[in-house]
Order: sequence, then C-alpha cells, then structure tokens
Amino acid sequence: MKRNVTSNLFIVISMAVGLLVVSGPVFAHHGVANLYDMSKAVALKGTITKFVWTNPHNQIFFDVTDEKGTVAHWVVATEPPQVMVERGWTKRSLNPGDRVTVYVFAAKNGAPVGNVQKIVLPDGQEMNAGAAPPAATPASR
Amino acid sequence: MRNRLVPSVYALMAVMTFCASLRAQTPAPSQGAAGVSQTASSKVADLSGDWAPDPSRGGIGQSLSLSDNGGRKRGQEEDIPYQPWALAKTLSEKPSTGPEPNFGETTDPQVLYCEPPGVPHIYLWPIKTKFVQTSEAVYILHELGPYFRIVWLNSKHPEDPDPQWWGHSIGWYENGDTLVVDTIGFNDKTWLDQMGHPHTDKLHLIERYKRLDSASMQLDMTIDDPGAYTKPWNARRNFTLSRTGFLRYQQICSVRENQQFFDNLGKPAVPVPK
Repeated sequence: MKRNVTSNLFIVISMAVGLLVVSGPVFAHHGVANLYDMSKAVALKGTITKFVWTNPHNQIFFDVTDEKGTVAHWVVATEPPQVMVERGWTKRSLNPGDRVTVYVFAAKNGAPVGNVQKIVLPDGQEMNAGAAPPAATPASR
Repeated sequence: MRNRLVPSVYALMAVMTFCASLRAQTPAPSQGAAGVSQTASSKVADLSGDWAPDPSRGGIGQSLSLSDNGGRKRGQEEDIPYQPWALAKTLSEKPSTGPEPNFGETTDPQVLYCEPPGVPHIYLWPIKTKFVQTSEAVYILHELGPYFRIVWLNSKHPEDPDPQWWGHSIGWYENGDTLVVDTIGFNDKTWLDQMGHPHTDKLHLIERYKRLDSASMQLDMTIDDPGAYTKPWNARRNFTLSRTGFLRYQQICSVRENQQFFDNLGKPAVPVPK
C-alpha cells in the first residue's frame, strides 16, 4: 500500500459533513471525543510521517502544509488494532511518505489533533475507520 | 496463517494447564446456586466460533440498561432499580467514555488502574470472545487481557467463596442451544458497565449464552445484587462471528500506553482556562 510522494501539500480543501459517531464505538474506552467536534469531519491533505499500531488506539501522525509553507504536525487516532484488523487494516496500511486525505473530527480548541473518520488515497481508495457492517461469513482459519 | 495461530495455541495451552491445577481444588459435582434450576444432562450447546460484539444489534454499547444502551440517561434508567447509595455512587463516577467522556479524569478502575473489568463489563469492550468446551468445564477466553474464565460444569459453588475479580462460576446446558453460567463470589472493585454502575460482593450473576443461528449469539443476563439494587434486573449483549478470528492482536492494558495516548490526543485538545 506504499504510495509515492511527488508534490507539495496544502491544507483544508473542504469541510465535509461527517458521520455522527456519538452512537459509535470510536474511542470507546479512552474517550476524548468530548474535546473534538464530532458533528463534522475536516478534510486535510497531508503526508504520513508515522503510523503507530498500538493499544489503546492506533495513532496516525501526518504533516499538512498551507499556502504559506507553514507545516502543521497532526496526530489522529483510530479504534484499537484488534478492531481495525476486523475492518481490513494492518500495521502496514499507512507508511511514512504516503500522501493522503485524512477526514478528521478535529479538536474544538484548534489543536492539530482529532479522531479519524476515513482516509482517502490518491487513487480514490477509501480506508474507512468507522463502524463496519456485521460479518457475513465465519473467519477463515 | 501459521503465525496467527501460534499465540492462540500458546494461550490455550496455558489456560488448560492452569485449569487442570485448579480442578483439584473444585468441589465435587452437585446442584447449582439456590433458586436456579439446572439440567445437567441437556445436550451440549454449540458455541464454537470467534464472537465479536454485533454492530447491527447494539454493538458494544455503553450501559447495560436495556433502555439506555448509549448511556445518555445515566442515573435515570427506568430498568435499573438502584438503592440510594448505588445511584449516588453511579452519579459520582467519571466514565471514560459515553456521552460525557472524561479520559483525563476518569474514575473507571479498568482504565485508571488497568484492573480487570470483570463480567459483565468485559462485554462492553470491542473485543472478541471464544468458548473452549470440554466435558468438565467451559473456558471463556477474552481478547482483552487476555483474560479467561472457567465455568465448572455440573458442579457447585464453594460454601464461602473468596471474593475475586471474576467470581466463581458454575454452568450447565439447557435446551441444546444454551449455556447457563451462574456466578457468585465477586469482589466489589469493578463496574458493571462503562457508565459506572456499581455492584457489591453480594452480586449473583446469571448468564445465558444462546446460539441463535450459524453466525449470531445472544447473551441474556440477570443481575441480582441485593447489596446495590432493590430487585434483579436484566441486560443483553449480542454477538456476531468475527471476520478475522480470535486474538489477532492482544488488547493489553498498559498505563504507559494509556498515558502516551492521552498526552498525544487528549492534552492538546483540553481548553485553556480563560
């Protein structure tokens, strides 16, 4: 899933109305969601600098550069690894240098932190961090 | 595939070895807890599979209340018969999640101290569960911890059980599709769910695990704690088969990792006092 980095980055393209996740399991046990604006997701284009696959929640570090060249260092979280595995993610789903668009429920106070809704790759592929539909078939062993 | 199975095999071997040593200390088969009927000879229910909370039927939820799965009515649930102290205790707690999460100042002992969540609290975590069924016991394995419980089949409780995190469990099968688990001997250190509902060491928990079809299972619970509630009340959790299998990743609670998470994701977002 490694992708190339070829151009400069820029900040917010749009404000996207995101899923209302108040009933979802995001940050299910380590809640900081009250500190984030969970009513809408902000679309940020940036470059992955680090992807930490860990308890209690995976953490995605990425840089976003605005028109003036100022770089903001963002960090956003997903569900825990064992939940993201169920949604098709692995520790190699994101790699340093990957150019992505990250949809973020961002901190209300303006800090560059938040909760990831989904990630869109340059080819349009979406990596959903939200709730998955129920399993249709037993897991293969 | 092989690498995926290794941790599970090791965990199971450890469980079985530990269980063999415990078995020597367990009372001989007899009747279950007072007031609970059991059918020792019923056909064994098939609980095989890797069970995850069913997102289409409540998911992991926040509260055990059947009327308030999301925890929005904490303290005002119609179906939780609080004693006054239990209501006050619930409202004094600071959940780490739910409608008003407060991870930085939570009083949830599992999150704060990484203590065992106990049961039924563990079923409000986004983790999978697996049953290992033998003729003498059912071993219930959880991804969180990873913890396991032992349910002694066709056995009885000790006369004066020591209060412990997971209590003492006995069980039996009913109707060919249900495993009934009867547990007493809890300590009073865990929450019943994410919303801070307390219990005492008088808690008597009845769990009924029923396989509904090839891909779904239902757990009905009766929470009978005369030390905290005025009458027994009921709760339910629903499960579906996992897409990926059991224990692909160990959900281990680490105070250090929790702190790092809050340092990175929580502290920067805390409003600055004006």
